[in-house]
Amino acid sequence: MTIVVNTREDFTLANFRRVSYGGEPVRVGAQARRAMTAGAAQGPAAGPPGREPARRAWPTAPGAGFGGGYLDPAVVRGIVFARLASLVSGHAGVRPSVAGRVAALLDGPMPRVPLDGQDGPGEVFPMACVLAGLRRDDLHEPEDEALLGGAPCSAALAADAAISARNRLAHAEGICALSIEAFGAPLGAYDEALDDLWGDPHETAALRGLRRYLRGAGTAERRFHQAPVSYRIIPRVLGQAHRALAAAEKAAVVSLRSVTSDVVCAGDEVGPPSGRLVRSGGYLNGMAYPALNALSAAWADLALVAERQVTALNTAETSGLPVNLVPAGGTGNGTYAYGWAANGYVEEARAAATPALLPGVMEDPLADVLSPTFGAYRRERRAAECLDGVLAILAIVSSQALSATGRNPPQPLWPVLSFVRSVFPPIDGAAERDLSADGGRLQQALGAAARSGELAALDAGHGSAAVLWADG
Amino acid sequence: MSVVVNSRDDFTLENYRRVAMDGEPVAIGPEARRTMAEGRAAFLRMLESDRTQYIYGVTSSFGPRAKLTIPPDQQRAHGRAFGFRGNWGRGFGGGYLDERVVRGIVFARLANFVAGNSKARPVVAERLAALLDGPLPRVPLDGEVGAGEVLPMAHVLQGFRRDDLEEGEANPLMNGSPVSAALAADTAMAACHRLDHAEQIFALSVEGFGAPLDSYDDVLDDIWGDEDEASALAALRRYLEGASPDGRTSAAVPASYRVLGRVLGQAHRAVTGVEEAARVSLRSVTDNPVYVAPGEGHPLGRAFSTGGFHNAMAYPALNALAAAWADLTLLAQRHVTALCTTAAGAAATGLEPALGGLVEEARAAAMPTLLPAAVNDAQDDVSSPTFGAYRRQARAAECLDGALAVLAAEASQALLLAGRQPARPLQDLLAGVRAHFPPVDGSPRDLGTHVGDLAAALARSAATGSAPFGTSP
Repeated sequence: MTIVVNTREDFTLANFRRVSYGGEPVRVGAQARRAMTAGAAQGPAAGPPGREPARRAWPTAPGAGFGGGYLDPAVVRGIVFARLASLVSGHAGVRPSVAGRVAALLDGPMPRVPLDGQDGPGEVFPMACVLAGLRRDDLHEPEDEALLGGAPCSAALAADAAISARNRLAHAEGICALSIEAFGAPLGAYDEALDDLWGDPHETAALRGLRRYLRGAGTAERRFHQAPVSYRIIPRVLGQAHRALAAAEKAAVVSLRSVTSDVVCAGDEVGPPSGRLVRSGGYLNGMAYPALNALSAAWADLALVAERQVTALNTAETSGLPVNLVPAGGTGNGTYAYGWAANGYVEEARAAATPALLPGVMEDPLADVLSPTFGAYRRERRAAECLDGVLAILAIVSSQALSATGRNPPQPLWPVLSFVRSVFPPIDGAAERDLSADGGRLQQALGAAARSGELAALDAGHGSAAVLWADG
Repeated sequence: MSVVVNSRDDFTLENYRRVAMDGEPVAIGPEARRTMAEGRAAFLRMLESDRTQYIYGVTSSFGPRAKLTIPPDQQRAHGRAFGFRGNWGRGFGGGYLDERVVRGIVFARLANFVAGNSKARPVVAERLAALLDGPLPRVPLDGEVGAGEVLPMAHVLQGFRRDDLEEGEANPLMNGSPVSAALAADTAMAACHRLDHAEQIFALSVEGFGAPLDSYDDVLDDIWGDEDEASALAALRRYLEGASPDGRTSAAVPASYRVLGRVLGQAHRAVTGVEEAARVSLRSVTDNPVYVAPGEGHPLGRAFSTGGFHNAMAYPALNALAAAWADLTLLAQRHVTALCTTAAGAAATGLEPALGGLVEEARAAAMPTLLPAAVNDAQDDVSSPTFGAYRRQARAAECLDGALAVLAAEASQALLLAGRQPARPLQDLLAGVRAHFPPVDGSPRDLGTHVGDLAAALARSAATGSAPFGTSP
């Protein structure tokens, strides 16, 4: 279906998802066309008096950046979508025909946007790549400025990260719950009384998430004494991730509908603008990169706690489970070496949690502060990838622990376990397996599910989880 | 006056300030005493009903020996033995927490008790509150990272009488995360003042440079659509109210002036985050095990192990604040450069080179504190990083104070050379700056010492909440 945008209110996360991942086209609605016509008539033709912007030289496509790989085309679609938010209200002084032309870019393939070399003043460099295919021989001077300026890349990068983060956090909760079951940790650490005693909405969300997966969990075979710290604090660490997710979603929601053009015409969105011209620093998005930094740190901390749980499960003296989680009568090293493999992902995640700050370099006396969002986005991607790796290992080890001891988790965890076992069946030692490749496949499956929501859909009962159920 | 605490709702930031900063004592109110007495009695009934049930530290040993159960006939002696185990404090070096923070920790500790979740008698809470009537022990800053906050709490409770403690009364004293609550609260107190200083001094810089005012226009509140950026813009407008349109530059201005509302908005977001972490943490019940009063399905109540001792919201909030200070420090450096090279030319103060080091130090301090990599033992396999985050935030704040001092001096100099007065709301600030750091006129002066005084004055007023340089905002 086509998404029709009429006001800034149409630039929601849901519409971003439809355009970016769903590939849906966008059209500029009648209300937006009226506002833009009014804005273009009285808009920022030349900037505030005495400070007319120098006509911005449109960088030669594909822009100045190169190397480091490329943005996913879905994210580039998201940038085009986010660009339109600054146009539809008429503040940017861009004609409806030009906005329509921008929207029409979504009907074709997206240009490639390199990930390196994009930290410029605002987001001119990546926008030059994104809009490389736009016909611009008839653009008015302020339209150049309005199309290249502002911060639509930050909005799209924040939105992309936020959408995956919600699914990724759900994966983490499901797999940690699976680990709790595999370890037989006492359930008191997730008791609903803690919702009030701790009194934090994000920790409450994490506690509820865990309890949802653990509903119906038996009490008979659990350990009688308290579990290692990594099991007891997991609601609080997941709460931290919920807090980071909320901040990323807020950054995305606010940024998607912001008007960030360098020069805006102040006035009612749909009526004739008052003619007051404002030149601002809207092109520096000050909320997306801190939110991405916080997500990276949350992923790194979750990776570390997951690794500690892997160690606990793999250590017979701690867990009381079979050595190396090898079933009775079986041979081989079982899941032992996965504990070591987890270390590398944890250390990489911690490195990726180094925050992106305002860049230390300056281009010239006027362009003396640059935007760090691309760097923050890439670090968040890397931290997330590493978390997927550790979660894959925790899932493998948990699945193995349950298999080796002939136990099943409570029913709410079946879709998670089925998903895991559909990619990584328990190690039975009967045949030679490439455990490295199998583990990598599970990491990739989790990464893909973070984008697609596949596991979340199974989890919600929308998929045929029972078909995937191996040992049920 | 005494702060009277009756319920967890009394553990507010305002009461924290009264106890920690103003040195007020704390009294346990009658409602809290009643609730604690009832909680204690209910806990003992539950314990006596089955002394083979697992209650960490009561019917079991501690720490890595958590799975070791204590036979029923030895449990009372086990409870009393806490008083004879000596002091657990092991950290040393790195300086010490300010005594105001130690007072804040004692205050935060009491939140655990007043609702009866601690299992302890009222007399234990009263004794704890009485610690605030005398000098408090020193808490080293190094060596305090372990699972939970047992290590720093051992220092805090050094002088606490414990020879008559009974079963279940040791853990509510030592376990939990009151230290994180107090460190977050202490930081939040200073952070809101520091942010206000930054807004005033950046506004002075806008005036010194003669930057156009439209970058702070109220239309941006709506079209950017973010409450924190709107707060930053509103503050800038408040300090620039009545600013003269004359003498402002007609040329394009550096990005560092135009993005001010966005970068200060980030700092507002970070300050809000640490205030929220402090507010929630101060009233949380965090010790392990926790006792929950009798209720439906549990006529005797329940005691169970939790991870409350690990505060996961304070250190990320402190990390975010350190990063915000680092970005503001860089922005201040850019403003100073702009004032020196564009506005005031060769007649600048000469302080600009001092900023390079401050910016780099602030950026180093903004490296986040994550969950520590070290493992104590198989049971205590994750430690709390809040102490590290607190120290880094403090260092980043110190660097920002230095950069703001230089920026204030440079803006003062620029205004003098241009023969302009800033907007009226900034005139007291300018007078304060000039009282500490008179404009440079070429005569010999120890500029470093003078600007250091300026930075120290900023740090003092951030801690106390007084106006910067003793001026009225």
